[in-house]
Amino acid sequence: MFKNHMKIAWRSLNKRKGFAFINILGLSLGFGCSILVFLFVQHHLQFDNFHHNSDRIYRFNTEEHRDYIDYNASVPPGFSNAFKQDYDYAELMAKIADWGESQITVEGNGTKDQYIDLVAFAEPDFFKIFNFPLISGSDFKALDEPNTAFITESAAERLYGSENPINKTFSLENQETITVKGVLKDLPATTLFQHDVFVSYPTIKDYFEFLGGEYWGGVSGNLQVFGLLRPNQNIQEIEEAVAAFVPKHRPNSKTLHKYKLQPLSDIHFNSQYGGIDGKILWIFSFIGLFILVVACINFINISTAQSTYRSKEVGVRKVLGGQKGGLFWQFMAETFLVSLLALALGAVLCFFALPAFNAMFDLELSFRGLLNLEFLGFVVLLLVLVALLAGSYPGILLARIAPVLALKRKLSQNDAGGYLTRKTLVVAQFTISIVLIIGSIVIGKQLKYAIDSDLGFQKDGIVMVNIPKEMDAVQLNALKERLSNNTAIENVSACFGSPGAAGRNWGTSMKYNNKPESEDFNIQIKMADVDYLKTFDLKLLAGRNFVEKDTIDEVVVNKTLANKLGLSNPEELLNKEIKINGDRIQAKIVGVIDDFHDQDFHQNINPVFIAPNVENYGEMAVKIHLTNTKSALQHIESEWSKTFPEYIFDYTFLDDRVAELYESEQRFLSLIGVFSGLAIFIGCLGIYGLILFFVVQKTKEIGIRKVLGAGMTGLVGLVVQDFFKLIAIAGLIATPIAWYFMNNWLENFEYRTTINWWIFVLAVAIVMAITLLTISHQAIKAALANPVKSLRAE
Amino acid sequence: MIQIQNLKKSFRTEEVETLALNNVNLKVEEGEFAAIMGPSGCGKSTLLNIIGMLDNPTEGSYKFAGHEVGGLKERQRTELRKGNLGFVFQSFNLIDELTVFENVELPLIYLKESKSSRREKVMKVLERMKIAHREKHFPHQLSGGQQQRVAIARAVVTNPKLILADEPTGNLDSKNGIEVMNLLTELNQEGTTIVMVTHSDRDSHYAHRVINLFDGQIVTESQNRAVGAMM
Repeated sequence: MFKNHMKIAWRSLNKRKGFAFINILGLSLGFGCSILVFLFVQHHLQFDNFHHNSDRIYRFNTEEHRDYIDYNASVPPGFSNAFKQDYDYAELMAKIADWGESQITVEGNGTKDQYIDLVAFAEPDFFKIFNFPLISGSDFKALDEPNTAFITESAAERLYGSENPINKTFSLENQETITVKGVLKDLPATTLFQHDVFVSYPTIKDYFEFLGGEYWGGVSGNLQVFGLLRPNQNIQEIEEAVAAFVPKHRPNSKTLHKYKLQPLSDIHFNSQYGGIDGKILWIFSFIGLFILVVACINFINISTAQSTYRSKEVGVRKVLGGQKGGLFWQFMAETFLVSLLALALGAVLCFFALPAFNAMFDLELSFRGLLNLEFLGFVVLLLVLVALLAGSYPGILLARIAPVLALKRKLSQNDAGGYLTRKTLVVAQFTISIVLIIGSIVIGKQLKYAIDSDLGFQKDGIVMVNIPKEMDAVQLNALKERLSNNTAIENVSACFGSPGAAGRNWGTSMKYNNKPESEDFNIQIKMADVDYLKTFDLKLLAGRNFVEKDTIDEVVVNKTLANKLGLSNPEELLNKEIKINGDRIQAKIVGVIDDFHDQDFHQNINPVFIAPNVENYGEMAVKIHLTNTKSALQHIESEWSKTFPEYIFDYTFLDDRVAELYESEQRFLSLIGVFSGLAIFIGCLGIYGLILFFVVQKTKEIGIRKVLGAGMTGLVGLVVQDFFKLIAIAGLIATPIAWYFMNNWLENFEYRTTINWWIFVLAVAIVMAITLLTISHQAIKAALANPVKSLRAE
Repeated sequence: MIQIQNLKKSFRTEEVETLALNNVNLKVEEGEFAAIMGPSGCGKSTLLNIIGMLDNPTEGSYKFAGHEVGGLKERQRTELRKGNLGFVFQSFNLIDELTVFENVELPLIYLKESKSSRREKVMKVLERMKIAHREKHFPHQLSGGQQQRVAIARAVVTNPKLILADEPTGNLDSKNGIEVMNLLTELNQEGTTIVMVTHSDRDSHYAHRVINLFDGQIVTESQNRAVGAMM
């Protein structure tokens, strides 16, 4: 019987190739999207789940309580050893400090090769807690010694080619000479640690003294502390115990530290501590599901509309002894066959779409990763789900057709699934499309708002160039002067970082106007030279710019500081003293500038401290004339390389950096854009299928109207109006749904765009226009048909 | 074989109730060939559908081979129909997607017969209907007469007790019509009971008895003296 069903299913598909194509293509797009979503979700769920004892690995974090709470994925540098000393909760503790992209120089026979690699400083126990296999070299104990490193096999190949890397040396940031003691297997993409070079932790004192010592004065975002807890520990008990560190090690600090333990499995998904927003996986999954539902709706609509064609077969089968159940399963078998074909096509589509998807999300997903039981289970489940979702309703309808009516071809629309059901399903499809379009518009609008808004500082035409730590004031001034000599360059400023999108933050507590206690907020430090305000077009509201000296005694602050201190007039800040960095820096406020966005639009504007201190400069901002970009860049590179021949020249445009702050939103927009496009496309396939039936049903009416004198426009309108009504209803349903979700999303931003009424109208208009395009050909064809034929046929 | 007493069938729409059959009493003996005639809308097909267990009467009794059928559920009617009844329609009602062989094989599949037995029975009946050479053809590749022969093959392949024919020659030219009627007569002579609805006086002459319906009631019944006179 099954064979018979499959045979007839295959022949049915062959007979109505057009509809089969619509059904299979729609479903295959749904399957393709689902597979991509599965790959994406699986990738994220695999993060750091491969370590032995991963359920006992925890990261120690700090909540800094001030006027608001700062969540830091770090603890003071003294925490790790104190914890080991005072408590017995952990088997192992390890510090790892991220040093970001750093310059590695390998000296050969009279040559010096420079590379940029991701570097971290790590303690040996880090490799006992985490499972990163060693390929060659000594025991990880070597990392107890300063100036040693373990590198990945890719880094080894890059730095030393085919030579044995063990005991070879390299220079880190042209400062310390490091000896390679071991080679690690390349780290997988699904781990928090993407470094290529792990330098021994004791080496860090030569790069960042604060992290090398047992300090408790603050936390640095570079440092992470991990512990492998003993089995069956009570986390709450540990958190309560470590609360004792605060009075012991930070007795006078106004910023209250609360130390928290975060399980390894939570790290990748906790956006509060720098992970991805776990919600995104749900959103992805739901969008994938919506696409699949849209495709299933197509299938249901086309199948039920086609049921009049199938009624004779159903009637004959029933007359010959076929039961309802058998007929239902026959149709399910057909749906299964269509779904199977669609799944195969979907997998092929997915295969070709994967590189673009990887590029969009900066991933390296591959089909090789699919050869696992989880994926097979997912595919089988998906197939069954789709077959049931798409096939059961048409199956029930077909099976319940009365044989007498079926054989006489006297099926009513109700027997064939009913206009109302089909209309409801079409409305559901349009609703999903409209919600997705509104989502795309709102996200796009917020991105445009974020990127085009006045950030309070100049970001266009500014090239940010790295400068080595060892640069002194003389070199700096000489380079600045040589750069400024070129007419393509407007201004040059050396600084800790740009006003916004700095890539690094330096926040500290402050004391104002000789008060003995710190304020209950942090201030952001932006060390910079005297040209900073001019280069970034920062507007002075009161006072003047500082005068550059060897020591810091004058400072410019922003208006937010006045607001935080409860001062209504920025002038009131002038000539007041500020102490920062544990009173080590003291300066008089000489100027107040207008606010600028020192963080992205997700966050509030912080108080800012701008003062000159050449030791802290890490970048140079070069404002260029955009009409002469190429020559300006050549000039910058040439002068920079003359000054620092030992270093690799690296630059970014500040506006690109600002755009990068919204990278996740940009990706989100691309995703919603692509998926809403797909939803509309699949929906249109279904609409096209339906219009073919609709036109046949309206043939008689069109014929009569034509005979009675109806014009072309009126007749096309007759066909089109029903669909427009459905879109309007879908618009009404989609509006509150989309408003709710997008309003929630926008609440993630402290500075956000508004959701205007026209967005909803535009979304509905887009769907109407696309639908009109889809159906107009058939509608016009019907209107042009010879009425004599249609009436004779009737 | 068929015993119908005080049978009524009405159809109800939202506004109107139409009485299609009104107090019909009918008896068809085993081995009989009965023709039902009457103008369009008189209830012929409704009566045939009820006899064929495709529909239930609203009132009255219908016994098939001694079993009361009137109140049976669809599943039970299907079970009783399987193997006992064969149908021949005016528009053949062959499944377009199945070949000649597969169409004729279908009732045997529902009877869960083995593959070899099906093959044997189908080929036998196709040979008898002189259509075996077309076993791999699809219905649209056959003439009307050939299609109706396939339909008759399908009706008789299970060796049913009763064949119900609804205007079996209605879509055929006279030559093919005569051929089909001869086939039905042959089957009847072999013992199969036949009830046929027809508009055709010529076809009615093949039957032993002609039942005339008008407005849902049997108005006359007449016996044919020279059965098969047209052969």
